[in-house]
Amino acid sequence: MRLVSCYADRSEIAPLVKAGADELYASARGLPSFTQAGLPDMRSLLLAVDEIHSLGAKALVAMNAVRPARNEAGMRTILARARSLEARGADGFIVAAPSLMSLFSGGGIKVPLHISSVQPCFNTAALRFFLRFGAKRLILPSQLAPREAGDLMRLCRAEGLETEIFDYRFFGCVYVNGRCNLHFPRFHTVKRDFNGGSLCRLSGGTPLKAAPVDIRPGAEEQVKASARRVALRMGCGGAPRFYNAATFYDFFGMGTGWLKYGTRLDPTAEKVRKVRAMKAMAGLAEELTAKHGAAEARQRFIEKMTKWELR
Amino acid sequence: MENGIRLAERGSAWLRAGGGLDEALRRFGWFYCGAEFCENLLPTPGWYAREAEFFLGRGAAVCLLTPPVSEKGLKVLRPVFRGLARLARAAAGRIEVTVNDLGALQLARETAPELALNAGRLIYDNVLLADRRKLKVLNGEAVRLFASLGVDRFEISTTGRQQETNFGDAKAYGFRPSDIALTLHYPYLNLTSGRSCVTGMPDIGPEDSPAGVACRRECAACAFELSHPSINEPLTVRGNTVFLKFPAKFYRNADTLRRRRIDRLVYSPFP
Repeated sequence: MRLVSCYADRSEIAPLVKAGADELYASARGLPSFTQAGLPDMRSLLLAVDEIHSLGAKALVAMNAVRPARNEAGMRTILARARSLEARGADGFIVAAPSLMSLFSGGGIKVPLHISSVQPCFNTAALRFFLRFGAKRLILPSQLAPREAGDLMRLCRAEGLETEIFDYRFFGCVYVNGRCNLHFPRFHTVKRDFNGGSLCRLSGGTPLKAAPVDIRPGAEEQVKASARRVALRMGCGGAPRFYNAATFYDFFGMGTGWLKYGTRLDPTAEKVRKVRAMKAMAGLAEELTAKHGAAEARQRFIEKMTKWELR
Repeated sequence: MENGIRLAERGSAWLRAGGGLDEALRRFGWFYCGAEFCENLLPTPGWYAREAEFFLGRGAAVCLLTPPVSEKGLKVLRPVFRGLARLARAAAGRIEVTVNDLGALQLARETAPELALNAGRLIYDNVLLADRRKLKVLNGEAVRLFASLGVDRFEISTTGRQQETNFGDAKAYGFRPSDIALTLHYPYLNLTSGRSCVTGMPDIGPEDSPAGVACRRECAACAFELSHPSINEPLTVRGNTVFLKFPAKFYRNADTLRRRRIDRLVYSPFP
């Protein structure tokens, strides 16, 4: 399993490659990225592509905004920038908007397109939708469990697509993150004392009061149990996450090729620490599998990773 | 202005049980039935066909809602689309299907190319930008792509009363205003959805590799209203989705809606 890491500054490139990243990705101002943390301009991004290549790694560019441009001129500008990145040797574009995929495939862009988890692909028909644009890698959304992803993984293999998952320790939106309107106040309004942060990730540990409405007659006992669960979960991070040590090993066993870390706002030292931790985890899965075979290795892997998590 | 009512997976049975069927048939031209946000609530293909026949037989029009799906849901949707396509041949213009997954859109085009398809509230933002202040087409490429897939109606919820639009500059954006029509759902705006369920899914331990979203249909028992410590408006949770309830007066008059290409209103009696 190979590693792909975000970076947000050119100074992070060398330490991240040294830590074990095989691919690095970033965006830059003027490109349609899901988050704005990135390089200040196209010039910096083009120089970063050169630097990454000089260190023997691959350079990806995130253009994974769901809403890429708000007019035709904006789309033409993105296409022109994509062409300059292609000419510089960029190794992949991470994309989410079908309109951008259509623009790139119609505009003759040959750089491999990676389908972002921001545009969730939960099934083989969705993958067929993206194949029309020439997609070359699927970044699996963390809301899909490995035991649900078998057909999807098989279709990826048959079509020659690479597959990628997020490291469960460092990322984990429970809501479909490209569709989350709770995260930022686009429709609702925030209280005066709100100090910023993600509205969708309450983690204060205090249950919220949940008052049942629209109650089905005769369901009172079920309502009580659900009320406790909703109150606790809405105050402490949301619904259960699918990704954990077990699902990582299952995706590993299914032949997932790439492991991603993508918190672009983390400080450099934190990024380096996490890439090292990813390398250690992927290495552990490989080592245990080679030594014990998949069934026993899975159990040992989970035990070991769970202990790590408790430290 | 067309009017509809969203009955979701409760369907016509809910109206019949509550005694409101006749009034609903007088008040609403469109009936929205089916699961919109969760594949565990997907009714059977037979249910979809029966709901469609029920409302078509009473002179109404029907829109069948479909949710985001994994492989499990795709298997249900294939016969749903085929069955509805047969009905659509005899009731053109009175049956629509709303998709909330690009895979469902792809499958519908593969299995039932004659079905009228709408982009639902979980995928409209591939074409439109909507918030309190704006309701805009993203770009002509998006409109043309979805038109090539047979989608020209988009379902939205929004709280904005005076949203800026770019529909007047459609030519510069590479589309015609007539290329799109909008359906506005009210009074519940879906803020966010997961697949894993706040209401019902059991906790997952580090050794558990879930087979999917475990479900005992807890969301059918009730919804929950709650107060977020940082948000002014009350939120409503049902199953895997968090809703915001609209202010009571969310538009001035029908003309202000038509200027925003909204020509159909769909009322939800429950979230």
